[in-house]
Amino acid sequence: MATSIHRTMTRRGWLRALGWLGVALGLSSWRLGGARAASAQGHLADLVPEENVDATIKRLFAGRPIKDGASAIKLDLPLIAENGAVVPVAVEVAAPQTSQSYVKAIYIISDKNRRPLNVKFNLSPAVGQAYVGTNLRLGESTDVRAVVEMNDGTLLQAKRDVKVTVGGCGG
Amino acid sequence: MAAIGQVKIRVPSGIKGGDIVRVRALVIHPMEIVERKDGKPVDKNYHFINRVIVTYLGKEIAQFDTSQSISENPFFAFAVKATDPGELKVIFLDTHGGRYEGTADIKLG
Repeated sequence: MATSIHRTMTRRGWLRALGWLGVALGLSSWRLGGARAASAQGHLADLVPEENVDATIKRLFAGRPIKDGASAIKLDLPLIAENGAVVPVAVEVAAPQTSQSYVKAIYIISDKNRRPLNVKFNLSPAVGQAYVGTNLRLGESTDVRAVVEMNDGTLLQAKRDVKVTVGGCGG
Repeated sequence: MAAIGQVKIRVPSGIKGGDIVRVRALVIHPMEIVERKDGKPVDKNYHFINRVIVTYLGKEIAQFDTSQSISENPFFAFAVKATDPGELKVIFLDTHGGRYEGTADIKLG
């Protein structure tokens, strides 16, 4: 009896050691930066941090100036969203997408969401036109902004407020 | 209820060479949101799509970093410059290691 318990204990110890080894390996590969494709990334530590919108903008753009791009960016959003869980948004940039000058990324940021960054679209010249659309979740009535990053690093922004009748982020 | 990971891609018909076409891709997915207990977020491996990759003619043309603040059963619209007939593929990756992909044929006519 005693020997069998002893045996299971060591076996457990071994498994635990193997587990830690796995975690360590996983972490080291994450540090090396290969990481986004790996699984199990839904933990809180891996999510975009909860922060206010100024912190998000500072984190993403590190104080680079953001110009007003209301004339170049067409931001399509409803005025009133009855259901915050599904708010359609579409962003279209008037500038042509050529290999010399193209839109590199479009960020959609909702000012009052707990995690303001909704989505980042990375584009290449092969898309032909900087146009993206999706459905957002909005927690409450908020400003939604689309920040467009050009390949030369210029940042442009368009902003609109949306009234949300029923929030879409649970509680 | 459709199964998780079912992908639908809609491409307009009657495309000519060099046209910029707008494509819509949809995937069935729960996109779990952060649970809270006594106001504190619960730590677990939430199940949601965190990356979308679009390839055309085998070349990656766009990728999207998505978060939980995208609706359940998310759809993504984007443009593609249809230079040659071929395959358009959209791959969705989720936090539990799921990989869902759908393809559409771009035909020029």
